[in-house]
Amino acid sequence: MTHFQRWALALTLPAAVLAIALYVFPIVQVLALSFLEPKPGFGNYVSLLGNAAIGRVVRTTIVVSALTTAITLVLSYIVAFAIVHMPRERRRVALFLVMVPFWISVLVRAFSWITILRRNGVLNSALVEAGAIQEPLDLVYNQLGVVIGMVHYMMPFAILLLVANLDDIDRRIIQAARSLGAQPATVFWRVWLPLSLPGLSIATLFTFIFSLGFLVTPALLGAGRVLMIAEYISVQISSTLRWGVATALSTLMLLAVGLLVAIAMRHPAFRAAFGGGHR
Amino acid sequence: MSVTRFTDDTAQIALDKFRAGRIDRRAFLTAMAGLGLAVAARPTTAAAAAGEIVICNWGGAALEAFQKAYGAPFKAATGINVVVDGAGPATGAIRAMVESKNVTWDVTDGGMVDAVVLGKGGFVEPIDYSIVDKSLVGPDMAAEFGICNYTFANVLAYDAKKTGGKVPAGWADFFDLEKFPGKRTMCKWIQGQLESVLLADGVKPEEMYPLDVDRAFKKLEPLLPHIIFWEGGAQSQQLFRDGEVTLGNIWHTRANLLHKENHDFAWTWSQQLLFSSAWSVPKGNPAGKKVFDFINSSLQPEGQVTLLRLMGNGPSNPKALALMNDDDKAVYPLAPQNVATALKIQAAYYADNEAELQNRFLDFISR
Repeated sequence: MTHFQRWALALTLPAAVLAIALYVFPIVQVLALSFLEPKPGFGNYVSLLGNAAIGRVVRTTIVVSALTTAITLVLSYIVAFAIVHMPRERRRVALFLVMVPFWISVLVRAFSWITILRRNGVLNSALVEAGAIQEPLDLVYNQLGVVIGMVHYMMPFAILLLVANLDDIDRRIIQAARSLGAQPATVFWRVWLPLSLPGLSIATLFTFIFSLGFLVTPALLGAGRVLMIAEYISVQISSTLRWGVATALSTLMLLAVGLLVAIAMRHPAFRAAFGGGHR
Repeated sequence: MSVTRFTDDTAQIALDKFRAGRIDRRAFLTAMAGLGLAVAARPTTAAAAAGEIVICNWGGAALEAFQKAYGAPFKAATGINVVVDGAGPATGAIRAMVESKNVTWDVTDGGMVDAVVLGKGGFVEPIDYSIVDKSLVGPDMAAEFGICNYTFANVLAYDAKKTGGKVPAGWADFFDLEKFPGKRTMCKWIQGQLESVLLADGVKPEEMYPLDVDRAFKKLEPLLPHIIFWEGGAQSQQLFRDGEVTLGNIWHTRANLLHKENHDFAWTWSQQLLFSSAWSVPKGNPAGKKVFDFINSSLQPEGQVTLLRLMGNGPSNPKALALMNDDDKAVYPLAPQNVATALKIQAAYYADNEAELQNRFLDFISR
């Protein structure tokens, strides 16, 4: 290590100490509750395993998160692909529009979706008036509403990740493919798509992990019908006072996410994406 | 980044001023809340010296109403300030506060069920009945760890425009999709939900507890596709405003607000489900015993009628009835003309069973 590197490392020490004291330590304390409440032992974990209700909560969470991830990725890819092909000025406007939802609270967005999707809402009224449907559709207060709200929340993240990745793809490769006679569709499927795999993988992982922890959106747009892990944990913490169960479930979720990341990192695409810029 | 640092700095300034006694706790808490820092930096040890009573309730319009109904009379009588914090005294929040020995609330506005649960866990002080006068409240309203500050009810509300002017007679009509077509709303928090289902199924009020949960679920299952569940009072109101639902099991206070806004919205007192709200005192509260003087003062009928007029919360002191006019009585759950078919929600039953029941209910409705 050079003198400079040692210095640089020393400069990060206060941050590391703070992070451990204020972040890691409290988390460990909370997770320890899962072994201590209501009595010491593995009781909480044993009771989780045999609990059909929690099994259903976990299944709902995975299904909703997977659906959200799939839809988010497809839509975001289309948007990102369009953005990287825009002229500079228009691109700036497009990126700005993508960023706007970031500044709006998740609560406001959930209520806005209710306004749009409810039975007498903007969308249903328009469709009924246009004669496209007779009866208003059930677009919200169910799983569909939750997925719509979550996709909307996740898309800016996925788009930004994908734009960064697509931007990095060397355009000379595309030109080479075209000059060798490849049709646009072939160029897309055989050049763009394979080269954007690292970005797609990162966006998938990110969206999926983020989706697992959604609380407000499913609670409001699902209206009690879509119970996900985060809400289940929050109910156990704040109203039923079953902190042992809540922390045990949190521990398992943390482990599952860690495991997901660990497995993903074995794939070269992920390592490339996290390596960033080393081409 | 600079915004965060600025906020921190502002908070520090406020904290310093507070410690130096240049601003009172209310101004301090207001400043903190404005900065979104309410929980992060609260002065705890200094609080008791400030000579104030801090109430924690659920916020919104109740902030000002509590101040007028309870705070002003107490301040007038004793000179002691009352501060209302709308953070919401969830049992989990009280437990966290007590366990971390960081109690900032003197008295919390939870339900009677919460009082029993918190008392069992050792998180609240017993009510000191040498200071608080039990005879100020009605029968069954003074318990070891909580005393009833007001009553409220879950009622059957309806949109008269959608029912064609028909008035539902009771919970049986809630289940009658032919007589009353359209969606319904119920609460996803369990108290008072299964009671309405069982009443609709013909269970007699005196045989209600312990609840026959399986029977309730069986009766409720076919109706589930027609129900939207609410989780906060404002949301229950919004569902009616949006024209989303025809009937609803909602709080009488919200039904009253809806009615004031639009007379098509109304409710029936028939088979109302009657709750006692309760004051509880977190263990180690900053004002110590002084809080019981406040509690006693809050049970005076005048303040309680003020609260009824502002919010619709029903007085717990029977003497309040004598101060009411007809409009007041129309929104008072315990008024003689409203209470005839009421079912009293049994706090002791929920104190023992709520956790289990709540989880079963959430699982059942989300299947």
